[in-house]
Amino acid sequence: MKKNSYKSILIALLLLGMMATAAIAQDGDKKDLMLSASYFNSNNQTQYLVAHTKCKIDGKFLPIPAIEVSFYITNDSAESHLLGKAVTNDKGEAPLMIPASAQSEWVKSVKQTFVVVSKATKVFDQTKASTDVVKAKLKIDTTADKKINVMVLELKDTGWTPVKGVDLKVAIKRMGGDLNVGETQTYTTDSTGSISADFKRDSLPGDLNGNLTLIAKVEDNDTYGNLTVEELVPWGAKMEYVSKFDRRTLFARRGHSPIWLELLAYSIIGVVWIILVYLVGQIRKIKTLGME
Amino acid sequence: MKDSAIQKITEDLLPQKFGKQGKIWVAFLSVLCIIGFIAYCRQLSKGLVVTGMRDYVSWGIYISNFVFFVAISLVGSLITAVLRLTNAEWSTPLTRIAEIIAVSAITFASLIIIVDMGRPDRFYNLFIHGRLQSPIIWDVIVITTYFFISLLLLYFPLLPDLQILLRFKERTNKRLYWLYGFLGSFWKDTPQQIKISRRAVNILSITIIPVAFSIHTVTSWLFATTYRPGWDSTNFGAYFISGAFLVGAGAVIVAMYVFRSHYNLERYITYSHFDKMGKILVMLALLYLYFNVNEFLVPAFKMKKSEEDHLMGLFTGEFAPVFWFAICTAMIIPILILVNRKGRRPLPAFIAGLLVVVGSWFKRYLIVTPTLLHPFLPMHDVPESYKHYFPTWEEWAIAIGSLAGAMLIITIFARIFPIIPIHETITETEQHEKE
Repeated sequence: MKKNSYKSILIALLLLGMMATAAIAQDGDKKDLMLSASYFNSNNQTQYLVAHTKCKIDGKFLPIPAIEVSFYITNDSAESHLLGKAVTNDKGEAPLMIPASAQSEWVKSVKQTFVVVSKATKVFDQTKASTDVVKAKLKIDTTADKKINVMVLELKDTGWTPVKGVDLKVAIKRMGGDLNVGETQTYTTDSTGSISADFKRDSLPGDLNGNLTLIAKVEDNDTYGNLTVEELVPWGAKMEYVSKFDRRTLFARRGHSPIWLELLAYSIIGVVWIILVYLVGQIRKIKTLGME
Repeated sequence: MKDSAIQKITEDLLPQKFGKQGKIWVAFLSVLCIIGFIAYCRQLSKGLVVTGMRDYVSWGIYISNFVFFVAISLVGSLITAVLRLTNAEWSTPLTRIAEIIAVSAITFASLIIIVDMGRPDRFYNLFIHGRLQSPIIWDVIVITTYFFISLLLLYFPLLPDLQILLRFKERTNKRLYWLYGFLGSFWKDTPQQIKISRRAVNILSITIIPVAFSIHTVTSWLFATTYRPGWDSTNFGAYFISGAFLVGAGAVIVAMYVFRSHYNLERYITYSHFDKMGKILVMLALLYLYFNVNEFLVPAFKMKKSEEDHLMGLFTGEFAPVFWFAICTAMIIPILILVNRKGRRPLPAFIAGLLVVVGSWFKRYLIVTPTLLHPFLPMHDVPESYKHYFPTWEEWAIAIGSLAGAMLIITIFARIFPIIPIHETITETEQHEKE
């Protein structure tokens, strides 16, 4: 009897252990999604949010695409706070423009909270993240002697106030990325909330009128998020379009092949066909001789 | 030389009427041509959609066939010109075989290009809007030139034979007799005529060599000037020419065997001819093998990421059976057969030649198609079927029809004209007797 009860206890423990293992294994199938949100203010005109999703897989942080993310303003307790939804792309990013309908909530305070909530999937549970921003903007001024002044302003109850100690970059927009205007990589605002930079990129190709686009930007600031401002300046070299359409090149149209090619090709063709015509003449000669 | 001996040579080498086998052979080739023509009519009415060619593979077996025909046509320059200029007199009985192979192959090379065009009615645009910078234009020019030279090289040595043929009016039907008269009634075998003819053949023999090299080099440039895996090679001109000489020599051995056994030409196409052609074939196969090693070993050693799919597809992937079949049949097995004296007897040499021709056709297929399936920049959102290529029945019918057409030209030529030059054979026999 005693022996049987020991057996029963052992079997029960084994079953319990197996069930626990199965439960742990099921939990273990789900991975931890890392969700974050960033705020962008582009050129003091366009404000948008970007949700980022990533996950640690095989020891590496990889972006997670195809995750549906809901964006809320202030909090996610009310459906009226919903700004919209977006799905992450291959880079694990889901951008969303802040719609005009959010204006009433936006103007309530100088600070703003945004909440992002990812939808649960087979692999990931629902995840929530938020970001807090203080409303700020950049102001850019240029002088004729190619000096650039940028000011960082924060919205306070009394109005726009200069902010000291903010890092920012001043650059020129190029096709492949931004090019710093000088040697200095980053500038920090002084007590007047301003920085001053010198433009030292002479003869940089601009557009047809020699215009370049200056850009000042605050990146990933804990308080203000990402801010940019742009200005067109006539400091570049004018681009002159020179048509190569009628030049004699190997890739030109018919009748515009290089002279050396024409000489070479027509000489070879000419020599060979002169020989062939001569030989046809010889057939004629043979014929004449035979008729005599 | 006795008249009876001359009579014997003439009787042996005069064109013969088709026997039962010959008629069946001609009927068989004609049926293949007709099927090919029907398939082409379908392609004309429905467009290139009836083929297996899509956005990836836009050059299928038509272009493979074109390259094959151009390659095989080079034999005209090898046998007629190179051997003639090096005073290899033993090649005299083979010159006309080589020249008619060249003419028929180059004729169908031109036709198959038109077949490959979706709108053949716009062919004239090639001449109106063609650019001198394009290798395609160079190919058109050089093919036309080569065709013309081959025709002349076929015609000049035929003139004395036409005079001989005209002597046998009773054995010739009216239309053939008229043809012989039209082509060569003016040949009187005068010293002046012989002198002009010999000089013309010498000039042609010299001219055809650079033109022959050009024709296949330019064909190789159609590929090599295109930046694609497998084609981006500076080795391509030499690689193509060595392969062309190989397949041409293989085709001549096949034709030698067929004509020898069918027309009982054992006295004229001897064991010695097979022995010598067998040695040439071994040399050419080794040369082509060398270029193949260069062509594949160097890229395989580097194994660039962008070329990996293409190379592995050939070595171990979907094209591996065809690739190794082509390497073995076009080069390795023929070398093993012909490197032995016994292997250079007529039958084994014929088998080796046949293997070279078949293997070479598949080799051309491998040059054209797998590369097109592996572009450096793959297309997006294309149907899965675009990423594979298998010719449709229309393509097979047209390709086989064109091969049959080329053989039909050779067959009909051998019916109308002496396939071994009669006059040259008599002259050379007389010279040997004098010596």
